Amino acid sequence: MEHELTEINTFLHTIPPFDQLTIEIIAQLTKAITINYLRKESHLPPKGCDEKTLYIIRKGALAYSSLQGELLGKYGEGDICSVFIFPDQIDEIKVHAEEDTLLYCLPFLAFSNITANFNNVIRFFENSAEERLNTQMTQLNEDAILSSSLMDTSVSQFCHGPVATIESYCTIQQAAIKMTELSFSCLVVIEADKPVGIITDKDIRRRCVAKGLSFNQPVSDIMTKDMLTLNENDRAYDALMLMTGKRIHHLPVTQNGKLTAMVTITDLMNNEGQNAINITNMIRRASNLDELKVISALLPKLQVKMAKLGTTADHIGKSISAITAALTIRLIEMAEEKYGPAPAPWAWLAAGSQARQEQFAHSDQDNAIIYSDDVITEDKPWFKHVATFVSDGLATCGFIYCPGDIMATNTQWCQPQSTWHQYFDQWVTKPRPQALLNSSVFFDLVTIYGDNSLIDQVREKLLQKTKGNSLFLAHLSRNALMLKPPLGFFRDFVLISNGKNKASLDLKHNGIAPIVDLARIYALAEGIAATNTIERLKLASGTPSLTKASAANLIDAYEFLGILRMNHQATKIQAGEAPDNYLAPKNISKLEREHLKDAFKVIKTMQDNRQTTL
Amino acid sequence: MYSHHPLFRWLIGYEAKRKRAFAKAPESPLKRYLAHPLPSPDMPLDQIKILSVDFETTGLNAVNDKLLSVGCVEISEQQIALNTCYHKIINTPDDLVPENVIIHQITDDQKARGALLKEVLDDLLNALAGKVMLVHFARIERQFFHQACLEVYGIAAPIAMIDTLAIAKRKLDKRDVAYDPSELRLSNLRHAHQLPQYSAHNALNDAIATAELLLAQLSKMPNNIKLKDILL
Repeated sequence: MEHELTEINTFLHTIPPFDQLTIEIIAQLTKAITINYLRKESHLPPKGCDEKTLYIIRKGALAYSSLQGELLGKYGEGDICSVFIFPDQIDEIKVHAEEDTLLYCLPFLAFSNITANFNNVIRFFENSAEERLNTQMTQLNEDAILSSSLMDTSVSQFCHGPVATIESYCTIQQAAIKMTELSFSCLVVIEADKPVGIITDKDIRRRCVAKGLSFNQPVSDIMTKDMLTLNENDRAYDALMLMTGKRIHHLPVTQNGKLTAMVTITDLMNNEGQNAINITNMIRRASNLDELKVISALLPKLQVKMAKLGTTADHIGKSISAITAALTIRLIEMAEEKYGPAPAPWAWLAAGSQARQEQFAHSDQDNAIIYSDDVITEDKPWFKHVATFVSDGLATCGFIYCPGDIMATNTQWCQPQSTWHQYFDQWVTKPRPQALLNSSVFFDLVTIYGDNSLIDQVREKLLQKTKGNSLFLAHLSRNALMLKPPLGFFRDFVLISNGKNKASLDLKHNGIAPIVDLARIYALAEGIAATNTIERLKLASGTPSLTKASAANLIDAYEFLGILRMNHQATKIQAGEAPDNYLAPKNISKLEREHLKDAFKVIKTMQDNRQTTL
Repeated sequence: MYSHHPLFRWLIGYEAKRKRAFAKAPESPLKRYLAHPLPSPDMPLDQIKILSVDFETTGLNAVNDKLLSVGCVEISEQQIALNTCYHKIINTPDDLVPENVIIHQITDDQKARGALLKEVLDDLLNALAGKVMLVHFARIERQFFHQACLEVYGIAAPIAMIDTLAIAKRKLDKRDVAYDPSELRLSNLRHAHQLPQYSAHNALNDAIATAELLLAQLSKMPNNIKLKDILL
């Protein structure tokens, strides 16, 4: 019958993951539903619903809490309560109606049968928060490739020739030597000037070394035959799809049937970063502050462009941080022209997001100076002059002065190496919560200009002291755990742990910063020198501080939050507004809310783990 | 009032009528309907099977106007089971009046593909056996049902009915404050109970809408109410 139950079908069709189903399948689901009306305060499951059931809220609200009464989340109209399909959760969670509620009850068995051909839909419920987040990130990364500008560029823009070749009778060792000399990771194997195959680093590793094959065998033994080739005029996008699809990293490019060049997957992927490199070059050539100011005005535009191209937040953070570094270096060079060369070895340090390479356009300045202990009192004003010149210059270029005065212009943060040693020694060996909170930004510290060894030596000593230092780590953790992710969403509000609603989601403090803090703790606990959050997590992965699975989950959550932030800021900048980190729930799609909830859950799990190790 | 006396009800109530009609009726789907005892008024409501029914008609007069479509859905154990949804358009001989088409959204074309009245009535009686009929504003369904039974089987069938409009009216009357009769409209009552608004009006959607309204009304009543407390 036409129009039958259209209204309910349409309602279901807007709710993820049902939005992935066809309307015919939805109509079958609708038929399996029973409608219940729960009066306020009554508990789930409703009378007569004994089997595993999905509860879809048509009107009203449900709240779920732990047996101890701690609120864990709420469901509003269009949300799906899936708690009752997990037998192990039912005993740990209570669900009750917060308002009179009209509920669509969908037996899970019927649901699974009807959607049997839609793996993603069933997985949406059966997978854990972590698994869902991972699926989403994989999808987003694929989309990033899809939406890139490679659509309208040909392979010829990316490939490079001439192609390095090797005769098929040459030995594997000869191939390896040639690759090393040329620093190529791949060679095309030829016979009588015709390409017959391809050999890569990986082939040598997998098909020779790992198999115990003699490296005196001819390359033809381990080369990949049936080599795919691209035409110069093929779209770069298609090339990338072909390569990602077949998991190939190198492809020879032909022109009129003749081998002319090679293209690697990295060539294609790095394309998006080109603009950042251009800007950096412009900065290097700039001769005065006015020019730098004009160039740095491009930063927000670059950020938007990169976001639109679908790059990751990590990529943007690294590009913007690199540009800020170039800008700082150019300013220092200008200061040196003005005040003369440095009287002694010294270094300009960046702290915070710039040091972590996670900076977005025009954030605060966080910087400091370290100089050699040999500096005599009469030479100290030089550092003050340079500090003032550079930070004023950065301010002119749109990087506001640090509100916490973590700046090289502040004498406290413009000190000889011995003082920096003392600072860290105090923070680590006699940790006081407030002092530690103020100084946490210094645990992410890199040299932007000057003598690396000054701060590297400080760091080395520091890491020796922090590694396994439970008292210090406990203090640091206590601070880090103060920023909690919200529980989720309720209608158009952010639901926080005390059951209150907030009008907007603070992506930075309630999502990104907690992960940054956790990564810093893992790094200091394990003596890891890296400052970038993803790198820290990767390096800490598999150590006593962090399991491999947890590291992967945190990275997924961090990247997902980063993408949301990047897109949000791009929208703001394009609207001519100042980029911020506050997302209004009504601008967050239903699906994004689900993934955000999963990300919050990952963070909460890791924070709880940290809590119990204290 | 005598009418509330159990014996009185027994004598003239729907159960008595059903038995008498059953004895008279020739073999037909109607007789099979009459073979099932109707729920006793003393039964707790949550044990009673209910069929929520809505008719779309060409007008308000059961004798002159025609039944256009029938929609129904079952409620058992206070749950509306959508797998029991039923909706059929009837191929009535009359042409449709344009003004009405706007309300019920059934076109001549759809009607022409519709089922025979007898077929739909057979289905309805089959679904209704042993159940209470739930409607919003009983007069229309009662009269059209009565008329259709006479037309198809030549004899009327007693039904046990509950009416969400009557339930709401009784509550408003008790308040002893003047109210606007439009408050008793299905959509307005649903709104008052914070139920979602349905935009499409066909017999099935209205039957579901009425069923949901009943559940909302019941949630405001004591747990142990009996059929007789809300029976028409």
